[in-house]
Amino acid sequence: MSNLKLSEVRKSFGSLEVIKGVDLDIESGEFVVFVGPSGCGKSTLLRMIAGLEDITVGELHIGDVQMNDVDPSKRGIAMVFQSYALYPHMTVRQNMGFALKFGGMGKADVAKQVQDAADILGLDELLDRKPATLSGGQRQRVAIGRAIVRHPDVFLFDEPLSNLDAELRVHMRVELARLHKQLATTIIYVTHDQVEAMTLADKIVVLRDGIVEQFGKPLELYDDPDNKFVAGFIGSPKMNFLNAVILKVSATSCNLKLIDFNEVSFDLPVNGDGLAVGAQVSIGIRPEHFTQNADVEFSLTVDLLEHLGGQSFIYARSDGNETLVLETQDGRNIKNGDRINVGFDKKLALLFDANDMRVR
Amino acid sequence: MMKKLSLKLNFADFFTYVFLTFMAFLSIFPFIWMVIGATNNTTDIAKGKASFGDQFLINVAKFFEQVDVPLIFWNSSKITIISCFFTLGIASMAGYGFEVFRSKPRERLYTIVLLTLMIPFAALMIPLFISIAKVGLINTHAAIILPGLASAFIIFYFRQSTKAFPGELRDAAKVDGLKEWQIFIYIYLPVMKSTYAAAFIIVFMASWNNYLWPLIVLQSNELKTITLVISSLASAYYPDYGVVMVGTIMATLPTLAIFFIMQRQFVQGMLGAVK
Repeated sequence: MSNLKLSEVRKSFGSLEVIKGVDLDIESGEFVVFVGPSGCGKSTLLRMIAGLEDITVGELHIGDVQMNDVDPSKRGIAMVFQSYALYPHMTVRQNMGFALKFGGMGKADVAKQVQDAADILGLDELLDRKPATLSGGQRQRVAIGRAIVRHPDVFLFDEPLSNLDAELRVHMRVELARLHKQLATTIIYVTHDQVEAMTLADKIVVLRDGIVEQFGKPLELYDDPDNKFVAGFIGSPKMNFLNAVILKVSATSCNLKLIDFNEVSFDLPVNGDGLAVGAQVSIGIRPEHFTQNADVEFSLTVDLLEHLGGQSFIYARSDGNETLVLETQDGRNIKNGDRINVGFDKKLALLFDANDMRVR
Repeated sequence: MMKKLSLKLNFADFFTYVFLTFMAFLSIFPFIWMVIGATNNTTDIAKGKASFGDQFLINVAKFFEQVDVPLIFWNSSKITIISCFFTLGIASMAGYGFEVFRSKPRERLYTIVLLTLMIPFAALMIPLFISIAKVGLINTHAAIILPGLASAFIIFYFRQSTKAFPGELRDAAKVDGLKEWQIFIYIYLPVMKSTYAAAFIIVFMASWNNYLWPLIVLQSNELKTITLVISSLASAYYPDYGVVMVGTIMATLPTLAIFFIMQRQFVQGMLGAVK
């Protein structure tokens, strides 16, 4: 178990810079999830930590040791890959014990370590089978077992559940959370699935174009995002952004008017010092924060309904043709084409300036 | 409607089977002719007799009388096994290297390797002969083995097959502490064994059946391979075709045996080694 520190880390492939100065301090035992859209650099960053990609500039410390030039096998890490990467010509037992055997551990010790890991993961009956005869979930467990036997300081997971079906993914997610509690080891986990990120992580790193947009606890990111990208990326369905224009500003509040929503105007309790009158801004509202009889109200026309049983999602359009997504618990009586009056409480609205940065 | 459709398909299937049967017969005809020829004497063969005769044992006895069978089998086997071992070793390492360590200069080098496939062997024979003569290898088995070791086609075949070798296996092996050569030996080689099997059959056949180049560089009778000896039997002043056919059958047997033993791996290797 070890802490991990990235200081001003950069990565370039030729003239293309893909990681643009990442600083992270991950505490010992934390479960940290890297999320971001495709191509944001999250897997590259993980591979740099693993030693599978060189660090162009910056420093990586695991514990107190600088690891930039240390061989992957000597970094105290173990990695679980998206495709599991089990050696197809070896049995489960050989796969799990391969690194230990290769590292010079005695036969009896290897057998004991493999057995212990198999007990933890319920792999006993699979030990003499080849990977080709296992299901996706079983392969995933073997891949995790192969990582566990090494007793690493840091576990690295690269989208480990993305090849599983929805049901198995939920099951493995719970298993992973349980495993983290049991082993109490530092885990860095890459995913593009924000449900995995929200449910598994102690802390989330949101990446975009090789830059850390925000690093914090899942609910902090959900409730208090630093910018429009994080606000939009965390949460499903994503946050609604309503265009608005500033009418008046002060140090304690800001008066603004919604464009495309019947020109409704209202005050928001934020520090408006950095805002100019007439500036275009965005108001962020989560789908579940729309209510009736709220502080700010307007009318919408229902375009489409999705009933999930416990809740419904309403896709509705304003008179100015702005589309919003609303979540409601009692939407079964609403029909396509209905006019509905909805609104939001000002304390739940988030304000983003013209540069998409949060105004608090 | 459904009935008509299935009738149509059956009609198409019928022609497919007729065509395939015809092609199969065309392929197998030389083998049948060879076996029939081995059981007849030269006069019957010259007359075009297409049925089995009673001369097989006599032809076999004559073949063993005229030819030092153990020696020619030893010569051909030695050349073939050494060629297979080194060609597969060199070509698989080159194919792996070209695919895994990509860079612009390496791609240019690969293009040059592929371009050599376009030069016909006939154009290479004289410069190759001069080179071999200059290093003093004329009339040695090394003269046959050396020029074929870095086979451009087998390198190409291994590179294409390596595309199916998952990069994450290599990454996992690195995390497990393996160096690049260890990844090649402990992971790549066993995972790609069907590719090796297919390449082995291709190189084995090419080397075992090699005729023109050994004819040019070998002079001593005690060094000659099975193809050269059979050819010399056929080009004698009064060739005994029954004996030639026995020799041809014996020359074909190892290739057939290798193919039947490794058939499954060969087909798998051709389809792609990693599933």
